[in-house]
Amino acid sequence: MADEFPFEISPMFEGERIRKEGMHVELAGPKSKGFELVRAADMSEVEDGRFTLIGPDLKDMEEGSRHPFAMVYKIAGELVEADLESIVERRNHEFQNYIQGMMHLNQRDDVWIRIGKEAVGKGMNSFEQIAKAVMMLFKNELPFIEKVEATYITDMEEVEKQVDNARDVYKARDERTRGLHDEDVDTFYGCTLCASFAPTNVCVVTPDRISLCGAINWFDGRAAAKVDPEGPQFAIPKGELLDAESGEYSGVNEFAKKLSSGEYDRIKLHSFLEYPHTSCGCFEVVGFYIPEVDAIGWVDRDFAGTAPNGLQFSTMAGQTGGGKQVVGFLGIGVNYFRSPKFIQADGGWNRVVWMPKMLKEKVFQDIPEDLRDKIATEEDVKDIEALRNFLKEKKHPIIERWVEEEAEEEAKEDAPAQAAAPQAGFALPQMMQMPANFMPSAMPMMGSGSGGVRIILKNAKVTVDKIIIQKQD
Amino acid sequence: MARIIAVTGKGGTGKTATSALLIRQLAKGNKVILAVDADPDTNLPETLGCDVSKTIGDIKEFMHSERDNLPPDTNKESVLKSKLYEIIEEMPKYDLLVMGRPEGAGCYCYVNNLLRGIMDKLVENYDVLIIDAEAGLEHFSRRIFRRVDDLIVVTDGSRRGLRTAERIRELVDEMETDVSNIYVIANKVTETNREIIASTAKELGLELIGMIPVDEMLIRKDLAGEPLFDLPDDSAAVMEVERITAKLGL
Repeated sequence: MADEFPFEISPMFEGERIRKEGMHVELAGPKSKGFELVRAADMSEVEDGRFTLIGPDLKDMEEGSRHPFAMVYKIAGELVEADLESIVERRNHEFQNYIQGMMHLNQRDDVWIRIGKEAVGKGMNSFEQIAKAVMMLFKNELPFIEKVEATYITDMEEVEKQVDNARDVYKARDERTRGLHDEDVDTFYGCTLCASFAPTNVCVVTPDRISLCGAINWFDGRAAAKVDPEGPQFAIPKGELLDAESGEYSGVNEFAKKLSSGEYDRIKLHSFLEYPHTSCGCFEVVGFYIPEVDAIGWVDRDFAGTAPNGLQFSTMAGQTGGGKQVVGFLGIGVNYFRSPKFIQADGGWNRVVWMPKMLKEKVFQDIPEDLRDKIATEEDVKDIEALRNFLKEKKHPIIERWVEEEAEEEAKEDAPAQAAAPQAGFALPQMMQMPANFMPSAMPMMGSGSGGVRIILKNAKVTVDKIIIQKQD
Repeated sequence: MARIIAVTGKGGTGKTATSALLIRQLAKGNKVILAVDADPDTNLPETLGCDVSKTIGDIKEFMHSERDNLPPDTNKESVLKSKLYEIIEEMPKYDLLVMGRPEGAGCYCYVNNLLRGIMDKLVENYDVLIIDAEAGLEHFSRRIFRRVDDLIVVTDGSRRGLRTAERIRELVDEMETDVSNIYVIANKVTETNREIIASTAKELGLELIGMIPVDEMLIRKDLAGEPLFDLPDDSAAVMEVERITAKLGL
């Protein structure tokens, strides 16, 4: 089928670099302008196989010259919809790289193309040949495309005229993409890049949760897993939704068990205090529970000072890292502050009381408006006492919790019999009596009505020489 | 498959000059060469006489600082590859890539992983790579280059210099990177130390592949900060490097 073209088409040419020496022409790129765009259209609007060129053709271009270059494809088909545009657009990059003697780099309005001398010598002399080859590949490889037509532009004025429209399309697409949430997909992605130094780490990347290092979002996971499913990023079928609020999924729990070699069997993606995500060591920000105010503070890698709990990032990172599930500390990527599900199991932003000024400025737009002046920084407070006063003064929503807990506390004193039955609200006031730097990791008290007591200490940070548990006579 | 040659040695032995002379020699043939400056302390671009403004360190920093501003579904590998291609300095006879500054704080695992994949493919576009590498061989332990066909340790005439070669050989044993051959080039060789170098190398079990003599022309160019690429063909150093490339089968 490829015989009709004076060039070979094969994935083996994908990595081909065309050097300046071997280059016939350079199209678009860092020193010129251009873009690529795929638009979905109605069947009636697309004339299948049609090619239009606006501007000079390849054969009229001087050797060694540089030109603006735009590629616009209109696709139609019963199953074609606007959401597919960006996927098809990515394939233009791939297919052009399949063409021997053609190098296509980058995407959107950053495309950069070179055509080699050798290819031109073998008879590549018109953009029509290239467009026809790409259109053929579109239809062969993406059968939902029933009709496709292409317009290539090499005229600067026309490229400049149309690039703004293309940018509007990209922008609208990005907005749609940003609107993608955990519930909209059935696959999450895992990453084991940190496994060498955090062997029990379970990194789960979802549309609403960027990796802890901040480098890998859900789309990166998807792209990498598609290219190499056995590579460091891979698919995690999310399975059954066990709890929407905290983000617990059966698929994630299964993978947690597998990736941590049995160390962890539950991970709640949007929880801070209960079965939180593990923390590798690469995290950009670490969150810390402040028992005295029953709230959470965050400190980032760039902040060299001391948080109100008296600790520095490095100290807390040391306690948190290594791929452990540490209740009371949580490593995150900065972008997780932008997630609508940001620690929603524990109250989200309403639970946040402190962060370094620089970090607060960085995520300022993502803080709910009514909370922006209620979150303290190192300039407002230096210690817990000052923090407590700041929160009271600013009427931070966290103080409502204090009232509730105090009421519970009182209720307990009134009816001591109740204390025998562990309650959800019981664990926190108990933690509050301990200094922050000795905070135990997790002490889920799994009391049941019959047959003894089960005490599980997970990743406890307390140093104890000996624990003796014995039945009292 | 590209032949990957790394030139290393402790500071001041003349490994950058040796790298430049190897590139100069190979550029006379028809081979497509990629020169890589993988030592943040040395100046391969100046020694070759070309100007490089951006480094891999810079684009890693770009990827790090811009990652949240890129469109969410950007193919980051594709962006990184394009940025990498942008910083390759394209000279008539060779391409030059500068690794540049070490990475900053934060996690570069992901970017490095992308970079490894891109470098794997890029390398295969060349016949020969000449990598001017620092003695710690960091980019190799980071596996940005996954294999080395020939590791050349440049040493001065001292016994200590040859000991360094021995240590580098030990370092190589610890690395995951496959290194097929290790050779030694003695630099700044005089009539006085020539024989001692040869016998010490033999004693240490090092394969001495060449002895570059003290070369007045080279010293003058070095002092003046002029590129060594312009040395005449009859310079003593150039002639010895020609013999070395022949021995290496290049």
